[in-house]
Amino acid sequence: MTRKILLATAAAMALLAGPALAQKVVRIGMTAADIPRTLGQPDQGFEGNRFTGLTMYDGLTLWDLSSADKPSVVIPGLATEWSVAADDKTKWTFKLRAGVKFHDGSAFDADAVVWNVQKVLDQAAAHFDASQVGVTASRMPTLRGARKIDALTVELTTSQPDSFLPINLTNLFIASPAQWNKLLAAVPAAVGDPKERAKQAWEAFARDASGTGPWKMARFVPRERLEVVKNPDYWNKDRVPKVDRMVMLPMPEANARTAALLSGQVDWIEAPAPDAVPQLKARGMTVHANAQPHVWPWQFSRVEGSPWNDVRVRKAANLCVNRGEMKQLLNGLMVEAKGTVPPGHPWWGNPSFDIKYDPEQARKLMAEAGFSRQKPLTVKTQTSASGSGQMQPLPMNEFMQQNLAECFFKVELDVIEWNTLFTNWRKGAKDESARGSHAINVTYAAMDPFFAMIRFLDSKMAPPVSNNWGFINEPDYDRMVQEARTTFDAAARDAALARLHARSVNDAAFLWVAHDVGPRAMSPRIKGHVQPKSWFVDFSPMTID
Amino acid sequence: MSAPAAALTPVAAPAARGYWANVGRRLTRDPVSMACLGVLALILLAAVFAPYLGLADPYRGSMIRRLRPIGTEGYPLGTDELGRDMLSRLIHGGRLSLLIGILPVINAFVIGSLLGILAGYVGGRVNMAIMRTIDVFFAFPSVLLAIAISGALGAGIVNSLVSLTVVFVPPITRVAESVTTGVRNLDFVDAARASGAGALTVMRVHILGNVLGPIFVYATSLISVSMILASGLSFLGLGTKPPEPEWGLMLNTLRTAIYVNPWVAALPGAMIFAVSICFNLLSDGLRSAMDVRR
Amino acid sequence: MLLYILRRLLYVLPVALAVSLVCFLLVHIAPGDPLISVLPPDASQQLQEEMRKVYGFDRPLPVQFGIWIGRAVQGDLGSSIATGRTVASEVGRAVGNTFILAVAATLLGFVLGALFGFVAGYFRDSWIDKAATTLAIAGVSLPHYWLGMVLVIVFSVWLGVLPAVGAGPGGSTDWAWDWAHIRHLILPAVTMSVIPMGIVTRTIRALVGDILSQEFVDALRAKGLTDGGVFLHVVKNAAPTALAVMGVQLGYLLGGSILIETVFSWPGTGFLLNAAIFQRDLPLLQGTILVLALFFVGLNLAVDVVQTALDPRIKRG
Repeated sequence: MTRKILLATAAAMALLAGPALAQKVVRIGMTAADIPRTLGQPDQGFEGNRFTGLTMYDGLTLWDLSSADKPSVVIPGLATEWSVAADDKTKWTFKLRAGVKFHDGSAFDADAVVWNVQKVLDQAAAHFDASQVGVTASRMPTLRGARKIDALTVELTTSQPDSFLPINLTNLFIASPAQWNKLLAAVPAAVGDPKERAKQAWEAFARDASGTGPWKMARFVPRERLEVVKNPDYWNKDRVPKVDRMVMLPMPEANARTAALLSGQVDWIEAPAPDAVPQLKARGMTVHANAQPHVWPWQFSRVEGSPWNDVRVRKAANLCVNRGEMKQLLNGLMVEAKGTVPPGHPWWGNPSFDIKYDPEQARKLMAEAGFSRQKPLTVKTQTSASGSGQMQPLPMNEFMQQNLAECFFKVELDVIEWNTLFTNWRKGAKDESARGSHAINVTYAAMDPFFAMIRFLDSKMAPPVSNNWGFINEPDYDRMVQEARTTFDAAARDAALARLHARSVNDAAFLWVAHDVGPRAMSPRIKGHVQPKSWFVDFSPMTID
Repeated sequence: MSAPAAALTPVAAPAARGYWANVGRRLTRDPVSMACLGVLALILLAAVFAPYLGLADPYRGSMIRRLRPIGTEGYPLGTDELGRDMLSRLIHGGRLSLLIGILPVINAFVIGSLLGILAGYVGGRVNMAIMRTIDVFFAFPSVLLAIAISGALGAGIVNSLVSLTVVFVPPITRVAESVTTGVRNLDFVDAARASGAGALTVMRVHILGNVLGPIFVYATSLISVSMILASGLSFLGLGTKPPEPEWGLMLNTLRTAIYVNPWVAALPGAMIFAVSICFNLLSDGLRSAMDVRR
Repeated sequence: MLLYILRRLLYVLPVALAVSLVCFLLVHIAPGDPLISVLPPDASQQLQEEMRKVYGFDRPLPVQFGIWIGRAVQGDLGSSIATGRTVASEVGRAVGNTFILAVAATLLGFVLGALFGFVAGYFRDSWIDKAATTLAIAGVSLPHYWLGMVLVIVFSVWLGVLPAVGAGPGGSTDWAWDWAHIRHLILPAVTMSVIPMGIVTRTIRALVGDILSQEFVDALRAKGLTDGGVFLHVVKNAAPTALAVMGVQLGYLLGGSILIETVFSWPGTGFLLNAAIFQRDLPLLQGTILVLALFFVGLNLAVDVVQTALDPRIKRG
């Protein structure tokens, strides 16, 4: 065989294999019933941020998603550094990253940041969009406005001194003003009302989005699929995607997702049905899971007459749950909780009370509190049969019921509908809706200090203001919250939060049970996936054979 | 759900005890109808007396005994996704499933008959007002109407009862109106009037006697549709709420188990199917037994 | 004839108006916050009130209805709260997908039903008749969403020959009548066809039986008409009613596809309705219901008119 023929054959083969080689495509089945909104501020909770926020857009600050072992912390994004004014703690200066371009080619600068703050906070702005306010404003409750200092510097203002602002800002995704203005100009002149024009421009933007993120929008079929392609010019060269195209498909049914993965319709599914995990593994699929900043607790009522007002009883309950066995029953899909955040997290704070399974010690504490096998303590807990983030509430609560019975607790479960439970959570333990419950079982995300701790521990956050359901009123907590909120050096702020966390664990403020692990199953063809300790994922490092 | 032609034909024969006895006799001679009646009676009795049958607690589950297959010792029909006894849940489930399947038809039978007889007997503007309002509801396909109402009101047993009643009132009213109009114009009613019977007497004796039969037969044919729709609502999450045992809802929650234990997951559907087909066959049998032309 | 059509058309107008009022009221008297899909549950009271104002939900109901109906007449059904896309575009796309499914199911159901019905009617009380009648009863008694589940277990999970969900490999926008897409259509269409199959079988069986038992058929036979001739005669007489039944069934399937579309994630109107209900997306919910109901009204009108035109026995009032 001559060299020539060999070359020709190789060329022919390359030609044949060409189309297959040219594009590396990964197809993902999401749990959402619809594609999360694509115009910058996604709906559908954190799954929305995961798929249509962090892919196509960046925030001024970002989450570090590069490691499966370290806790995920806030890192610079479109802003490179930030600081609060020495004289006025409600004014922040953010230095912006130079040389960043939106997908439409326009430059990212201070004007773009001001424009993106206005889109949700300035009702007078032409591009104000009410539909994006809800999901944005509630995640950055103190942000009030933005002002350009120079091309690469902006000043942000808050309503009160708030050191959590940089963490909140991970939820503000920067969309391209130039692209929006171009689409506004394309709205037919027949539409006169400026509000209607703006609305149509946003609708067009959702179909033809432009951000600064590692992925660019390529094809969008509402309610069916979103295709994004890699952005080879992404500003962070380490995070340029390794696959060419990513397809996202909404598949709200756990079984449909599993069937789709098994039949090769998709390469990656979010949250497979736990029951299907053994079968998925048997058919060669890989299942990834890692602790998420999520808490599955019993939140205690601390109103007058609640049995949980006795710290010995609270500690006993925490020591009486066999979390290891619970984990087995969930096919391994949980992490045993030792507090709101796990050991090693910047807010961990080394509490002295070690939450583990120690029924002997628990019974001793209960005996001290005056209870025994003959004279058990009756407690009532409100929970739901299902719900987002609730994992498997009925089996888990039932398991706890059996555990706690060994430590002289007689647990009554009040099972109500998920939406009602969620509403009751805001009404508080004193409300009629609590039906005399001593604890409520609602799960929550614990990424942001406000949502992880402040709203439960600060006495000012009692209903109807926020979710201090049990009316915890502990001057120590209030002081520590205030301290954390007004400490502006990031490390010192985390230290203050760690003190608050340690104090709450030592006081057994909750019955901490589990953290969710965000399971996802993938075809063995996918390599290099990193499952961080986060609700989010970086899709850039993965490859597909 | 177009009204079957047979139900629309007014029964001209005067309602006599002999006629109903005849219908009964013919029905008992039909083996299919009798078999269906037997199956339905068995399911109904089991459901009613479920608490006294010595069954396992239908709410008590256990994570360790989840999704046992059919034929497991102690669990003849296996266990569900929370480890609850399937046999017990299927039998207890009959209570709610039959209730939300049958009650709307009974409600609609009462309301629809009243409205239809009123419209048919009084005629004129009353007829116009009632029948044109009914027409508006005919503009919705039945499934869409049921789901729209339930979707608007939210999940719950009472809400699904309301929505299904609203779905079945219009067709029953239409049948009742047309049968009443037919009977009203028959000679023997005129004769009764001529002989000096008061309006109330005419209505009570002649119209009710001749009208309710056909409406009743028509209503029985709706029960199977109602059963399927009611459990369909629960299946979508618009009917019964967990952890109540109800066939449609059980079908929904067991969907997560079709990879582990498909046949257990299919059981509640088989129950709905069995009840629904029996009601259909029984309704057919009743109709042919009442058909005097035979 | 023209007069008849005109009169029927005029009668449809008040019905359509009443239908839109029912749609609006259904959605608005319902409890629950209309902004639940754009407002997180932990939003402050103040933010909730501000948003209600921005969306116009603070205005009195009659005013809201007036605004909605005024725009609806011009084809503007508002925008979805959850997605911001226009309701008209959402419903338009979904209707197309439901149409593919419903037409396929109706045709399948009609062909099978006509076949069974004719055979059963011709050979009344034979074992063939009994089998066909049983099949028909089973068809109308089956909880079809359950049948769909069973078919998925058998054909997708066990045999792995047909896909479990979706409307094609690339979404519905590039629907084509090729195998890649038709594979996705088979299971939902078969599931959906059992009800029309049952109803058509029963109707045609009764029709054929009736026609054959009439005296003129014997007369025709006596005149020496062949069996084929009698068959044609039967088909001609049964066709108008059978077609009318098929039209009405198509209407039911178009409006009642929600259960099957949910089981198979088929991106049609039922799927949309399900999303609108659970996201409490009021504009989308009332828009979808309105379009489906008006479609049903129109279809019934068309069936009436066609039937009147085809069947000389029906008097035109």
